Amino acid sequence: MDRRRLEENIFKGISYLAGIISGLILIVIMGKIAWAGIPYINWYFLLTSENETPGIGGGIGNSIAGTFVLSVFATAIASPLAVGLAVYMKRYAKNRPFIKLVDFCVEVISGTPSIVLGALGILILVFYLRYYTGGFSLISGSIALSLLILPVIERAAEQAIDRVPKELEEASYALGANKWETITKITLPFALSGIITGIVLGIGRAAEESAIVIMTAGYSIHMLSFKIVPNEALVYGVKVYPFQALLATLPITIYNSYHYPTMVDQGEGFAAALVLIGIVMFINLGTRLLLRRRRIG
Amino acid sequence: MQQFIERLNTKLLETAGLSNNFKFKNADNLFFSAIAGMTLFLMLFIIIYVFYVASPVLLKVGLLDFITGTRWNYGASAYGIWNYALSTIYLTVLTLLISVPLGLFAAIFLTEFASKRIESILRPLIELLVGIPSVVYGIFGFFILEDIFRHHIDPFLNGTLGVFLPIFRDNNPNDGFSLLLASTVLAVMVLPTIVTLSQDAIRMVSKDYRDASFSLGATKWETIKNVVLPAAKGGITASVILGAMRAMGETMAVLMLYGGSATAPVSILDSGTAMTSLILGDLGSNFNNDEAVSALFAIAALLFGMEIFFVIIIKLMSGSYGSSKA
Repeated sequence: MDRRRLEENIFKGISYLAGIISGLILIVIMGKIAWAGIPYINWYFLLTSENETPGIGGGIGNSIAGTFVLSVFATAIASPLAVGLAVYMKRYAKNRPFIKLVDFCVEVISGTPSIVLGALGILILVFYLRYYTGGFSLISGSIALSLLILPVIERAAEQAIDRVPKELEEASYALGANKWETITKITLPFALSGIITGIVLGIGRAAEESAIVIMTAGYSIHMLSFKIVPNEALVYGVKVYPFQALLATLPITIYNSYHYPTMVDQGEGFAAALVLIGIVMFINLGTRLLLRRRRIG
Repeated sequence: MQQFIERLNTKLLETAGLSNNFKFKNADNLFFSAIAGMTLFLMLFIIIYVFYVASPVLLKVGLLDFITGTRWNYGASAYGIWNYALSTIYLTVLTLLISVPLGLFAAIFLTEFASKRIESILRPLIELLVGIPSVVYGIFGFFILEDIFRHHIDPFLNGTLGVFLPIFRDNNPNDGFSLLLASTVLAVMVLPTIVTLSQDAIRMVSKDYRDASFSLGATKWETIKNVVLPAAKGGITASVILGAMRAMGETMAVLMLYGGSATAPVSILDSGTAMTSLILGDLGSNFNNDEAVSALFAIAALLFGMEIFFVIIIKLMSGSYGSSKA
């Protein structure tokens, strides 16, 4: 009896310890990063582009703008494909082997190591298609990233469409609407909040990715600019900024503080990290609240 | 009879393309089929293209020699991935050795011991670890943990366990980048996957099972050990596999923390280079060498192949799991 009670208490203790440690990790990490990063955060640091500051580092305005544009572009490319595929899978596809094949592909792509997508991106988009994409650029980066977030949005859209009540669609058919009308006017509007949740999660996923971005979008110290410059090496003989130009993003700013430890102040790296975590966590918490409200409502 | 004629009529009209809905029905089907076809093509293209680019080197060297060869040199076209593969395997195993016990017991704590209020605080704290980008984990390990490991943890392990166990010996005392550092950080990165998925699996175990076990006089821990964990085995295994996939495919944090030596570590305080880091480091500078590109893609194909293998295992497992429940 005593041995049993001892065992009980030991493992209870281990479980409590594991729970407490797991909970503390986030607090410790965030505390350390905030401690190192907050002193560097001010309006000048957040809004100034790196090329306007003396030396290397000093401003992350270009990276914040680049992160925003890149993740929105990537999501804009991925969303129509993902939502269209989800609608087809849930409302049109009848062939069992075909459904299994698509499911399998989505599963495989969603688990792909990001370095594999990065390698494909640098070979196909940056190297083979450089005449069109401009090499390391916003176009290359957003196409490569869109592959990463395609499964995220597709899964969310499928689940959202699953939750549309059958009765609503049947009522629509009973009123004489055809399939196209039913899908565009009943199914998709009803599933919209779920689909948007998926899209927002996709933006967050694209914003935090670093390996793919460094291999396809590169880094630039300049702010995004809108201009067209003659360039013989590219299609039509012009280089269209910002689409065919190098792009700065926050993950790479953070990476630079590791890559050039003597030139960039590590506090600036942590400050950039804090901003990136802020953006990603804001997105995660936002979608969590969105999901919770819908579950109650 | 009249009904039959009516039905025949509509059938005939439909086949002739005169039915009112017929044209629309086809157009929307075509629209969604086109998108679905395009996306499927894209996904299949990614999967096949990796293996296609990898094939020249894989065919030339042979899969077995590619994996077991120990020399990696572009100039001599020697492509043997063994040292890097071993580095990745050690990294994945040590990551799981740290994160699975911690995550599993944390999941047990959350479901079996914690009150509702504590669970509602603790679970989001663990889930939010997913929201920290891997490059941030990288600089956290690089600037903060490396110092602690170099000055405190490495000498401690070297001085205690390292005296009689070579795998704890510190062969390079003046830097902290090591298998252990990289695995520790990776363990934190995969922790949320393991905790949330195993907790979901544990929670799914029916209350009747627990009650039956309690009524037979088992203590809480005995119930967990003998009833709950075996019943939740499928979900827990899936969470471990997903954790392993994440650890194996991680690039940035590993590149920053593993140290980058070209040989596989022999002690947990040695450094190494994971396969992912090798691709990231070498691909950009070797475009003019087709064979080098192919060799680097062969590594990617190897990672990809292992990932597909894991996905199939999870699929098979969830299939049998679902059918046994039904």
